[in-house]
Amino acid sequence: MTAYPGASAPPTRTSSGAVKLVVPCLIGALVALTLGIYGRLHSPTGIAINIAGFSSPGYVKSWLATGAAVLALVQLGSALVMYGKVPRVTAPPWIGDLHKWSGRIAFLLTVPVAIHCLYALGFQDYSTRVLLHSVFGCLFFGAFTVKMLILPKQGLRGWVLPLVGGLVFALLILIWLTSAYWFFSTFGVKL
Amino acid sequence: MRRNTPLITLLTGAALGVILLIASMLVTPSGTPVSYSASDASSASSSPSAPAAASSSSAPATEPSAVPTATSPTHATYAGRVGGGGGSVAVAIHGNQAIAYVCNGSTVEAWMRGTATGGKLVMTGKDGAKLTATYSHRRVAGDVAAHGTDYSFAVHLVNKPSGLYQATAEVRGAKVKAGWIVLPDGSQVGAFESDANSGAPSAVEAPMLDVATGTARAGNLTLYATPVDGFTGSGF
Repeated sequence: MTAYPGASAPPTRTSSGAVKLVVPCLIGALVALTLGIYGRLHSPTGIAINIAGFSSPGYVKSWLATGAAVLALVQLGSALVMYGKVPRVTAPPWIGDLHKWSGRIAFLLTVPVAIHCLYALGFQDYSTRVLLHSVFGCLFFGAFTVKMLILPKQGLRGWVLPLVGGLVFALLILIWLTSAYWFFSTFGVKL
Repeated sequence: MRRNTPLITLLTGAALGVILLIASMLVTPSGTPVSYSASDASSASSSPSAPAAASSSSAPATEPSAVPTATSPTHATYAGRVGGGGGSVAVAIHGNQAIAYVCNGSTVEAWMRGTATGGKLVMTGKDGAKLTATYSHRRVAGDVAAHGTDYSFAVHLVNKPSGLYQATAEVRGAKVKAGWIVLPDGSQVGAFESDANSGAPSAVEAPMLDVATGTARAGNLTLYATPVDGFTGSGF
């Protein structure tokens, strides 16, 4: 059962797990590249679909991103509990559902923000913050794609999911710091 | 079944993204200028301050554009709507000097001055107004904040009669200042500061500017507008 179909030589112990990562990583890289290239080539319109009730698109995006960042903290906490890394806390039966649904909602919150960024503003480099934000934004969706694609796979090394999950979490927090945190500290916290 | 849920999550997000992208395309007005062919053909005019621009109002679309280099124009005017469409912004770059005006047609409006170097704009105005952007031969894109309101924007090169206009007058000892942004689709937005010398002038909607004559009437006061034009340097 350790033989990899099509492999002529007996696979080493690492390759059977690593091979499973190749295609998801390639697709993730493709996602990140596609977003970045689209953001660079598409002429920003300055306008995109918006949500009523906020004072400006910047506030809409900042609050959506903040919601996603808070849920990302839930992701981190629930993942630590699931892996038994929190002392004296045994994983309750609903922790898996909490992790899944907080992740799904967080991801869906980021999509409108990303579309506004890509369509209205584009991949920009006029300051370090903006350049970092553009790069992190593309990488985040690539990393998230990898995480989703490898999640159902069996036989991965134990550290793979925590590593990719941690990367997704770190990227989202970096995106938030280079956008919503900057925005709130520059223009004030309001709706 | 259970194995596929992450994929469903991904596809749901992708579908949401596509829907929002299409919706955004539908709400974007198609009146933004698209004719860059004149500017892309690298014109040999290395004397961008030539007064030939004065005649450009007759045929703005075919006039040789104010773009001496491919990436960093030093004599050009840009204008368009800000993100969300709640107002307009105009930026005129003349050499390394830049003048910008942002206006929503009423209280949110600000004049800003600053420098244009290396493709980057940093500009400030009264009452904390500020603009940071990057510029190329096609567009200016960045953020502008005035009167506690912020906008992201990406606006394109415009030619006369589109662009930025200002008028100043003195009424009973107070300096009044008006600004208008005229867009390529003919729409305009303008505001009128009744006490322009104060630190945070309060503004109201400006009377309609007659672009052909360069005048606007506010009650019994006639305002004579002059263009703020990066190409000619008018208004700098």
